[in-house]
Amino acid sequence: MLKRKLLAATIAASLCGASQAAVDINGFASIKGGMALSSDDELYGYDDDLSFKNESLAALQVKSDLGDKLSVTAQLLGRGADDWDVKFEWAFLSYDLTDSLRVNAGRLRTPFYKYSDFRDVGYAYDWSRVPQSVYGLGFDNIEGASLYHTTTLGNFDSALQLIVGSYDGDAAIGDATAEAQIDNVTGVAWELGQDGYSFRVAYLIGKTTFYVDPLDTPVTGLYAQLTGFGLGALAKDLDIIDESSSFAGIGFNIDKNDWLLVSEVTKATVDDSFISDQESYYISIGHRFDSITPYVSFEKEDNQAKTEIYAAVPTASPIFTPVAGLVNSLELERDSINVGVRYDFHPSAALKAQYTNADNKTADRKDRVLVVGVDLVF
Amino acid sequence: MLKKLILIPALALSFMAAANVAVIVHPSNAATLSQDDINKLFTGRAKTFTDGKAAEPVNLAEAVAVRADFDQKALGRSSSQMKAYWSKLVFTGKGTPPKELASEQEVLDAVAKNPAAIGYVSAAAVTGSVKVALTLN
Repeated sequence: MLKRKLLAATIAASLCGASQAAVDINGFASIKGGMALSSDDELYGYDDDLSFKNESLAALQVKSDLGDKLSVTAQLLGRGADDWDVKFEWAFLSYDLTDSLRVNAGRLRTPFYKYSDFRDVGYAYDWSRVPQSVYGLGFDNIEGASLYHTTTLGNFDSALQLIVGSYDGDAAIGDATAEAQIDNVTGVAWELGQDGYSFRVAYLIGKTTFYVDPLDTPVTGLYAQLTGFGLGALAKDLDIIDESSSFAGIGFNIDKNDWLLVSEVTKATVDDSFISDQESYYISIGHRFDSITPYVSFEKEDNQAKTEIYAAVPTASPIFTPVAGLVNSLELERDSINVGVRYDFHPSAALKAQYTNADNKTADRKDRVLVVGVDLVF
Repeated sequence: MLKKLILIPALALSFMAAANVAVIVHPSNAATLSQDDINKLFTGRAKTFTDGKAAEPVNLAEAVAVRADFDQKALGRSSSQMKAYWSKLVFTGKGTPPKELASEQEVLDAVAKNPAAIGYVSAAAVTGSVKVALTLN
């Protein structure tokens, strides 16, 4: 990594004679062009017009070591999809309690998945994007604190992360996004690795609230109308107010003799709401031929609508159609196949291409996308 | 005869290109180091020598040829793979890669004056001011 060390002393001399903290500036960027392969296809934000904006991003990270085991890190990231508006993706302070125990506090990444922490850093993995069937909760960050413990257990390297915090922002609800608040997030992620093999588990819980405009609107919204009909209990089964939620993930990774195998299986649930239980997995296999790494992967999403919510509603009832429609809208069975290649053409940059064919069995449609791009770190 | 004379430097060059890598520490450092220990230190998975004393690994810049040899022999990965490895840690607040120095001479100097330092140079570059902890063939 090309590191630009600015001795703060030089700056401090011209400012106010602050401490001699060293500042590291690093960055990463992904410039990708992609498009759907026919006029009806739409996937991952692409349609049949070539877009260089949709998945491109650039980030700058500044880390200042304040000495005495304290450091502060800020990562500014701009996504093409957000018109390159720059936001603080991470902003946290770190304190090393011991050589193996670190506390981070601030805006952090929620450790749902194996690649959660560095999903934006395309250079760190071979795919053009992390498998969307699994990495699809629609939010990544959390404001909170985490305890990160690394040690060796026999021949294994162990990394244990405990996290607490809350989230306030947009999250995915089916194919749409809505304003969400997830409170009291508490979780644990544990990864064990040895000589090219690694195994990971994660479990998080929280209290989820979603505000969905046409549903939550007073008086005219679906819930208000149901309550007006004396169906308050049904409204409560549907709405998403402070509902117990859980996320469980398990994964493994093998990197041996230039063969690369990785898989994750996840399940996310929001109790007492119309949100379907989301079960997903992917498996990816690749082979490293020196600087060229071709791979294939298969992804599966299986979100089963909670039809039991409206089982007691007579089909002739005027509320049957809107309620069943809402619940069923979160049914999704989709298989995706990816074929791609990474080429390390430069010491700090990789050229990647990936073709995806997503077969949405629920909507009976197939969408195909091709993306080519460069991921780099600096 | 002329051909042979040309052949000798050519052979010497090719021999030097595949030079052994000497992992070096301060002369006062009595720790014994296996390749696995070195791997752990240079990947940030261990922060102390086997005797419990703090270790400060110093790396060579990628432009120096012996860096690629070291990454392959000690860490079992290409320099690109190591960069991907560190980018996972750097951008997630989980680690900082070893400091990189621009030349073997700078590594020799840094190790010679710092009892906690550990570095590496090509075996032929080793001087009396440092101690060879392990030679990687």
